Amino acid sequence: MKPHHISLVAAVLVIAAAVTGAPAQQQINSGQMATSLAGVSNTRLSLTGAQMRQAVLDNIRNYPGTLPPRPLTFPELENLAQFIVEVDFDFNSAVIRPSSYRSIGAIADALHNPILLGYGILVIGHTDSVGGRQYNVGLSQRRAEAIRDALIDPFNVNPAALEAVGMGEEQLRDPAHPTSGVNRRVQLINVGGKFCFNASGERYVCP
Amino acid sequence: MAPRGKGHVIKETSLVCTLWLVLAAIVPVNAQTMSYADAISQLAAACRNDIAKFCKGVPLGPRLKTCFDTNDARMSAQCQQTRGVVYTSISRRAAAQRNIGDICSADIARLCGTTRAGENLLACLLAASPAALSPQCNQTFADTGWRTERARQ
Repeated sequence: MKPHHISLVAAVLVIAAAVTGAPAQQQINSGQMATSLAGVSNTRLSLTGAQMRQAVLDNIRNYPGTLPPRPLTFPELENLAQFIVEVDFDFNSAVIRPSSYRSIGAIADALHNPILLGYGILVIGHTDSVGGRQYNVGLSQRRAEAIRDALIDPFNVNPAALEAVGMGEEQLRDPAHPTSGVNRRVQLINVGGKFCFNASGERYVCP
Repeated sequence: MAPRGKGHVIKETSLVCTLWLVLAAIVPVNAQTMSYADAISQLAAACRNDIAKFCKGVPLGPRLKTCFDTNDARMSAQCQQTRGVVYTSISRRAAAQRNIGDICSADIARLCGTTRAGENLLACLLAASPAALSPQCNQTFADTGWRTERARQ
């Protein structure tokens, strides 16, 4: 069991849970998650999900290597309210383990909080460095989509409010320990306005 | 779904009737809905072995529900019973959140002089004592889970 680490800095709540498939011992507080995600600046974000996915692929092409020689950054996202959750998946699979069902339910509870009503939320999947970089982009995209799908059904979150992006290993949280479990995470970002996403990942003002 | 006495429930379709009777057998009809986190972790706990046996690799979502339906007869009694309660609670909470504006519009107009949606609606209902709300509005507001979520913030 890894030590748990919680920090409440710059509206970021980080939860590092066990990296094993054992039931998560730490429970996400959906109320705190909603508060963290609601602390939002109303800047109009022009970055789309499609642009982010392209930037990930460009980073791999422009900076080849077994590990990313430099992390991919999105300055537009850095000051936005976010929340990081660790979700257990089956190995090399986008199937969420039952041990993480509770975390997905807690995310849904937070996103249904009226203080988040109408906000667009990016669901960004990250992997550790095990496996090829290109492969990890696909895996993290499928995992982010699996979370998005579960939030929509059975948890009734508005599909138009969710955009899934797979970041692969291009933004390791602990570059000194690239295979560490802390790198495997899901990042939720409030994109900062009452925006929805269309099928291409472009944002529009929610109806 | 609006809170209803059993007399109303009986008049509805047999499916809804059955669901409510199953629910009523386990928890009182007026009990609050569970949070989605509590609901789905109850499912994970009660159905862990059945999922591993019959629905391995099936993603959380509509396909898992289909897998439960398909294998219902073979699943443990504990899983069968729990999943009925869990999915009923989830639907009831979703319906309450969807319908709260309509069901409580008269209460909000009376108490706060506005029927605007979103945070204003929440603030109005949170500020009101349960006794000040009509029973139907109060039950639906309880079913939204927003009182308990606010208490967690």
